Amino acid sequence: MTGLLWAIAAVPAAVGTLLCVLGRRADRVAPAVGAGTAALVLALSIAVAAGRPATGAPFLPGAPFGLGVDALAAVVLPTVAAVTLLVLVFSAGDVRGARARFTGLVLLFAAAVVVTVTATSLLSLLFGWEVMGATSYALIGFRWQQGHRVGAGLTAFLTTRTADLGLYLAAGAALAGGSGLALADLPGLPAPWRDVATAGVLVAALGKAAQLPFSGWLSAAMQGPGPVSALLHSAAMVAMGGYLLLRTQPLLAATGWAGPVAAWAGALTALLLGAVAIAQRDLKQLLAASTAAQLGFVVLGAGVGAVAGGTAHLIAHAATKALLFLAAGAWLTALGTKQLPALRGAARRWPLVGVCAGIGALALAGVVPLSLWATKDAVLAGARAQSLPLYLVGLAAAALSAGYAGKVLWLVWRQLPADADAGYDTEEPGTRRVGVLQQVPLVVLAAGAAVLGLLALPPVGGTLRRALGDAGPTPSAAELAGSAVLALVVLALAGRTWPALPGRAPAGWLGLARITEVLVTAPVLRAAELLARFDDRVLARAVAGTGRVVRAAGLLARFDDRVLARGVTGAGRSSLRLAWAAGRTDLAGPDRLVRSLAAGTRRLGALARRTQTGQLHQYYVQAAVVLAAAVALLLAAR
Amino acid sequence: MLSSTVFLPLLAAALLAVLPVPDRVARIGWVGVTVADLALVVALVARYRTPAGGGLAFEERVRWIPSVGSSYHVGVDGLSLPLVALTAVVFCACSVYGWREDRRPRQLAALFLALQTTCLGLFVAQDLIVFFLFFDLSIVGMYAAIAGWGHGRDAGRSALQFFLYTFLGSLALLLGFIGLYLAADPHTFDLPELVAAAPLAGHPVAGGFVLAALLVGLAVKTPTIPFHTWLPPAHTDASAIGSAVLAAVLLKMGTYGFVRIAMPALPDAWRAFSWVVVAVGIASVLYGALVALAQTDLKRMIAYTSINHMGYVVLAVGAAGLSGSGTAARELAVTGAVTQMVSHGLVTGALFLLAGVLHDRTGSYAMRDFGGLAGTAPRWSGLFAVAAFASLGIPAFSGFVAEFQIFAGSIGATAWAALALPGILLTAALLLRALQQLVAGSAGPRSVGFGDVRAAEWLPVAGLLVLSLAVGVLPWLLLDLIAPASSAVVELVSR
Amino acid sequence: MIREEPLALLPELCLFGGAVVTLLAGSFLPRQRQWIARLLAVAALLLAATAAALALDDPARTVFGAFVVDTPTGIARLVVVAATMLVIGLGADDLAGRARESETYALLLLGALGAVVLAATDDLLVLTVGFLLAGIPLYALVGMPRTAGAAEAALKTYLLGALAGIALMLGTTVLYGIAGSTAYPGLAAGLAGAPAAAVAVGAVGVLAGLLFEAGGVPLHFWVPDATEGAGTPAAAFLTTVPKVGALVAAARLVEVLPGSLPWPLLVGVLAAATMTLGNLAALAQSDVRRLLGWSTVSQVGYLLMPVAVVGAGAGAVPALLTYLAGYAVSNLTAFAVLAARPGVRSLADSAGLARRHPALATALVVSLLSLVGTPPTAVFLGKLTVFTAAWDGGLAWLVVVAALNTVVSLAYYLRWLVAAFRPGAPDPGPGTAPWARAAAVCGTVGVLAVGLGAGAVTALVAG
Repeated sequence: MTGLLWAIAAVPAAVGTLLCVLGRRADRVAPAVGAGTAALVLALSIAVAAGRPATGAPFLPGAPFGLGVDALAAVVLPTVAAVTLLVLVFSAGDVRGARARFTGLVLLFAAAVVVTVTATSLLSLLFGWEVMGATSYALIGFRWQQGHRVGAGLTAFLTTRTADLGLYLAAGAALAGGSGLALADLPGLPAPWRDVATAGVLVAALGKAAQLPFSGWLSAAMQGPGPVSALLHSAAMVAMGGYLLLRTQPLLAATGWAGPVAAWAGALTALLLGAVAIAQRDLKQLLAASTAAQLGFVVLGAGVGAVAGGTAHLIAHAATKALLFLAAGAWLTALGTKQLPALRGAARRWPLVGVCAGIGALALAGVVPLSLWATKDAVLAGARAQSLPLYLVGLAAAALSAGYAGKVLWLVWRQLPADADAGYDTEEPGTRRVGVLQQVPLVVLAAGAAVLGLLALPPVGGTLRRALGDAGPTPSAAELAGSAVLALVVLALAGRTWPALPGRAPAGWLGLARITEVLVTAPVLRAAELLARFDDRVLARAVAGTGRVVRAAGLLARFDDRVLARGVTGAGRSSLRLAWAAGRTDLAGPDRLVRSLAAGTRRLGALARRTQTGQLHQYYVQAAVVLAAAVALLLAAR
Repeated sequence: MLSSTVFLPLLAAALLAVLPVPDRVARIGWVGVTVADLALVVALVARYRTPAGGGLAFEERVRWIPSVGSSYHVGVDGLSLPLVALTAVVFCACSVYGWREDRRPRQLAALFLALQTTCLGLFVAQDLIVFFLFFDLSIVGMYAAIAGWGHGRDAGRSALQFFLYTFLGSLALLLGFIGLYLAADPHTFDLPELVAAAPLAGHPVAGGFVLAALLVGLAVKTPTIPFHTWLPPAHTDASAIGSAVLAAVLLKMGTYGFVRIAMPALPDAWRAFSWVVVAVGIASVLYGALVALAQTDLKRMIAYTSINHMGYVVLAVGAAGLSGSGTAARELAVTGAVTQMVSHGLVTGALFLLAGVLHDRTGSYAMRDFGGLAGTAPRWSGLFAVAAFASLGIPAFSGFVAEFQIFAGSIGATAWAALALPGILLTAALLLRALQQLVAGSAGPRSVGFGDVRAAEWLPVAGLLVLSLAVGVLPWLLLDLIAPASSAVVELVSR
Repeated sequence: MIREEPLALLPELCLFGGAVVTLLAGSFLPRQRQWIARLLAVAALLLAATAAALALDDPARTVFGAFVVDTPTGIARLVVVAATMLVIGLGADDLAGRARESETYALLLLGALGAVVLAATDDLLVLTVGFLLAGIPLYALVGMPRTAGAAEAALKTYLLGALAGIALMLGTTVLYGIAGSTAYPGLAAGLAGAPAAAVAVGAVGVLAGLLFEAGGVPLHFWVPDATEGAGTPAAAFLTTVPKVGALVAAARLVEVLPGSLPWPLLVGVLAAATMTLGNLAALAQSDVRRLLGWSTVSQVGYLLMPVAVVGAGAGAVPALLTYLAGYAVSNLTAFAVLAARPGVRSLADSAGLARRHPALATALVVSLLSLVGTPPTAVFLGKLTVFTAAWDGGLAWLVVVAALNTVVSLAYYLRWLVAAFRPGAPDPGPGTAPWARAAAVCGTVGVLAVGLGAGAVTALVAG
């Protein structure tokens, strides 16, 4: 059984590596191989979900590489595997060009996710966690020909890795506290170290889950191909943030402060990002914002101890959002656009896609009896038990989700306008067709989006709660009914007021990207530039000081698109000012010291040769003086 | 066995230097000897069993200068054996890469074979004079490599700066050695005896001065700030294999000196000064990464990342001296430090070889001149991408194993070590920015008609990266070697 | 009672006899047969060397009341004789067939004899004799080539030597006056409790004389000029052999000076001044001979370090002897490279050496790296022991100064190496000289042998 567990991680990793190494040569077989591997992974994951093995391999001295399948992993692992399989099937009909690289990267990503889900120690967790981030970078920047896509991948990777530092910190704290790196031991840490570890885990999770204040990267990540978004932002990467908090819920609870913090972070993200989603006019951007918002419910669940509800929401949302992203991807491939105004009536072109997308939107809206309705309420029930404000914020967030879901729903099902083609092909030439391979996964996911609510409803819900040891409150009938009504009302309003929601200027995700730019990126680059200037000036002065400002400009320009103009001039001016400062300070610089020393030595050398006048009488005088001085020294230092 | 491993390359170098064989024979001989030496090292590793009580394996001792208590004393343990293996691997890779060097190939082969002996010898030396002998000769050899085969405008000046700077460091080292020698009773340069005696244990002031001398000497070689300024020009003007050897092996001599000499022989002083070492380590990590971030010349950038990566090592060995904290954490830190030496050697060696390809094709390292190489040179791009990720410490590569241990251990020893965490992030940012600029986007002026890597170029790089991968996936293979030795070091430094 | 053992002076007698015979033979031999004289000189040296080697194991004792036969004397004999032989080897091509060839050999032998006497005596009067015996041949050797430069150099050397001689004799008189004896044992007894000022003046006077022979501050002025002006063999000789005698003599003298005065400090300061001045002045030299001349001055600085601490530890004298041996062979190897390409005057001229004469280039690299003090060469062993002895003797500051000076010295030695490895430049002057080349190779082997055979060397000098 443990062998199977290793195989789940090892097989996709090996196949993926192989595909990446082979490259173009494997393009033809790649889709089939990928789908086959994913199917195998799915089968294996179901097997281990039944068998619940736990194992460890020697890795670091005293810190084995621990993998295991507990109840939580047993439900999440098959979900991830299934979504991966469906996404690969979809992309077999969707992605054109470099299929081997694409499939290989997806498989590597899947392997990393498997490790993350089954990790039982901080070490194995961080292992999968970081590889997940790296492969997501490669997937987002899959179309390397457009530099800005790679840049988007970089933004995503760096933001999430910033948060990942928390896990390094947590590992250090765990060692300092004397406990091992096993996740189960963390709650037993002594006081200060337990808080440090918790903070680290919390930051890492919030970063991956795109919760505030880290949500910005999710917007950039939309540069990736449709299937990639479907995988990264439904079941796998973003969801893993919520998953980590669900897994470490005992640790959060143990500290006392971490639970509420997580809960509020989740609730606020659900609220604010829900608002952001409503303001979007780009379908994928809308879905991304809604992903962050929906993960907010999961984080909220983990924070208030509603583990079962959170897990159910995680899984249901995975199916729903994967469905919607794939539909968006299908439209993007076929129509060449993801702008909502241009997608007006798109659902009517391919009814099957339209129906599936409709189900997804309704589920997202929380319409009874679809999945997210019940799971969300399971989470909110836990919130209400904790504090009323928390509950109300969550409820408002739920209303907002109905709002943006409705916005999409009404829009795509409107009458197809006569001049529809005018809005197409704005991002890439569309194929005007949606193949079978693209439609099958939609159907499966739609079914999932419809029925997975059972996870939060008796009798299945009870089983899950027992399995996860969740003894928290369950939603009352009134709550369930109330939220259902609320969803329907908002949905109706959204349909009514849609014309009143014209495509305003694309909303900037609360300006998160910009804030990061101004507060983090630009200052760091400026500091780097100044230090480098310092190092250069004190170093070989080969590079003239002039033209460095231009370089600084170029440096920033490469990194950023929005703040470019301001960044350059600002950086330029301040660079100049600070360059003079550096020029002054570098007198103290190490190498400047060295070379001035050398120069001084040379001058001394000239001086030394000056004594060699060639005039004998001067030799005599010098010799006599020195000898006299010698006698004097002897007598003086006696 | 050990001595033959060390001196086989020197023998070949002497032959190549004397016999005017044709270039082709010289090339074959070079590769052949490095491969043979690698085989010998593999045999050593295979037959290595961790000696009981922190002793040495394959120990050899021959009278040399009995009157000054110095002997030809060599031997390996868990600290030195990984570095010996690294040396053999890197020089083997360089010999393959050097296949296409057409400037005086015979002399080049002789020089690098001689250099290989000096590096191997340093890592097996168990006598301070023998250590210093190889330390100095490595400087001379590297000077010749830069001045003779460098391609910078002023390779001569960079080489001179390198020589003067590192020679100054070596003299500081010599003073420290003499101090240890005089403090020991009976006077001796023999390392195990000095370690056993810990001569300056009772003398804080004298111990402080001796340690200061050692620290300066090793810090110049490592290099840590503020002694790093010789490194970037030396790298920029050195040839690809010169840079690879300099970064992959020679820099390790400094960090190896910390764990081999400074920590065990001067435990009291080390514990007293460990805060300084930690501070210097953190500063090197952040400063190196930030300055690297601003570089536009690929090779300079890699050079500065070396300062950053060596900073991790310095941080770890410093943290290992913080008594009062848990032993487990400090052992982990030292193990991580040694792992980082190996990891940095493999990955940075690969990066420098890849950078060499750029210069070989276009005569430029300026990143802004490139772009879209993924189209024109997919194999180069793939290798560079892998190397970049390995260098920024992605799991499944050796860097992660090293940095995880260093950080977990150092933070476990002192929370201040967390200040160095941003280094990981900065490294990721700068390497991926470089990757994006070189590989992605539309083709730059110099990318047009850029020929992809040939076998002699990608084979060594791939080999180094595969080894890094192996260490990253099965680290215990390496760590089982290192861990006992590092726990011994921590034990010694805690005396 | 005075022991009289003529046989104990066999090496000296060989040198003296060799000088006489060479002179006589030379005056009878025709110009093209002068090589016979050379042969005689070499034979005499070989005899002396054999005798010295055999005498090494003899018990230490003083013969004729003024001549110490002990390990320092034995090593000094060997070094001086070997150095002289190497000088004859590297000079053979230059001297062959010249007027006064045999006279040159005779002068070399006499100078060697003087150096040995300096090194071996423990009596101020004999010291004075040794001073003259070692000094006067120098003036003649320097002036041997009939060039303006040589003449001027000879004059300067002579006049400075005169000053030094006066100082030496003055010092001797003063010390005799207060101690009532010129023999060191008597001095040691007599100077204890003597008026400090008088002791200081006297001792400094004697030291001045030795510093002239050694070429140390403040009587170094003649060294660069003489090295530049004289012929290569003479330059090689006068920068090597006299130092051996003078420094051993200085060590013997300082050992007996009363501890009431800070002799280590004084000698240490002189050492620091000498090495610093020599290195700094050598930095910007473009004439290789002059560069070497200054480098020998700086080397005297290092050689004075053990002299400073001779009273403090047992390691000082062996360190001095080790350094002397290593320095002599390294310095002579460098001069041999010069002699092998007579046309070379400036650094620029030596370009292309590595291409055309790899063997000479190797010799140059080894000898210069040895002068820098890179292991495993001869001078490294010297530096190691000298630094250790100085630190042990309480002059740690001097060790630091010496280390820094070593870095400075690296700069100009490297300039020469860089020039030698620079490609191109048409070979200046006539082709190479076979004898000198052979000498260079022998010297290279010697440098490495001393370095690698350090165990034997240190055992030897430890007695």
